[in-house]
Amino acid sequence: MLFSEADGQKVVSNATAGTVGKVHGLVVDPASRQVVALELKKTDGGDTLAWEDIAAFGADAVTVADAEAIGEPSEAVAELTGKDHRLVGKRALSDGGDELGKVKDVVFDPENGAITGLVVEKEELAGERLIGVGSYAVVVKAE
Amino acid sequence: MSRLMRTSEIEKRPVVTMGGEDIAQIKDIVFAASGGEVGGFTLAGRGLFSGGKKEGLPWNSVVALGSDAVMVVDEDALQPKQEVIDSSAASGGSGGNVLGSQVLTDTGTDLGKVVDVIIEIGARCDVVGYEIEASEALANKGQKVLIPLPDTLAASSEHLMVPDAAKEFVSDDLAGFGASVDAFRSRLKGSD
Repeated sequence: MLFSEADGQKVVSNATAGTVGKVHGLVVDPASRQVVALELKKTDGGDTLAWEDIAAFGADAVTVADAEAIGEPSEAVAELTGKDHRLVGKRALSDGGDELGKVKDVVFDPENGAITGLVVEKEELAGERLIGVGSYAVVVKAE
Repeated sequence: MSRLMRTSEIEKRPVVTMGGEDIAQIKDIVFAASGGEVGGFTLAGRGLFSGGKKEGLPWNSVVALGSDAVMVVDEDALQPKQEVIDSSAASGGSGGNVLGSQVLTDTGTDLGKVVDVIIEIGARCDVVGYEIEASEALANKGQKVLIPLPDTLAASSEHLMVPDAAKEFVSDDLAGFGASVDAFRSRLKGSD
């Protein structure tokens, strides 16, 4: 699934069948190349859903056991949140010091949150090439 | 694969960590080994109003020098600027600026003035040539041409001495220059 497809998806409680929020961003840990949490909006309280608290990441909705799953970010997640840690829109730079273009989108596995690809301009790079994400660039292994 | 670059292109290039943070930008090149190698860089801060930094970047902390950025592992790559300058000077580095110096052959012909320095990036960062504004001794007087350098060279603040044969290996652009340097250096070795 693409980040652009996940963005805006509704988050639904399995307990009440009600919508409890909307996906507003995905928090990535570049070290493990995993989506570790979802940033939400339109919730009743808290804006973070940790990956392990997701019941299922479906094609049309993200389900959670109940609204309790949504809360404040843990310290580790908070450190990876914010525009300095966002991938999409940033320049991709190889570890050889060459710019590859802009990161347009990110591909992840909705089963386990693994980052499987980076869409840089019109090309898809393997997710395992991701090295780091900072305020200046997304660093990827050179081919 | 090694790669040739003009040192003027490196100035202002950002220094970026593997974590994607730009921690500095290149201010000046610190030469080592009598001007035959790059020992490191002095740095400036990023942003419009930031001046020179107290830290420098030694060449052995550089992971890669690409066309858009100088890559380092993390902030620990930076060292006090004076240490970078001193350790380069210890290897016989001139540390000095060669731009504007006159290139003389060992037979006493003026080939022109240095306008840029050409480096080859590999395990070391070798100075392999100069871009000079050609004198009348060369066919294309007044134009900028590239001249290969021997492995070691003698330099003072006024003159850089090159073997007479260097003028046979002049090229017009970087594309063919790597081959010229190799041919020139193997010629010099053959004549020993």
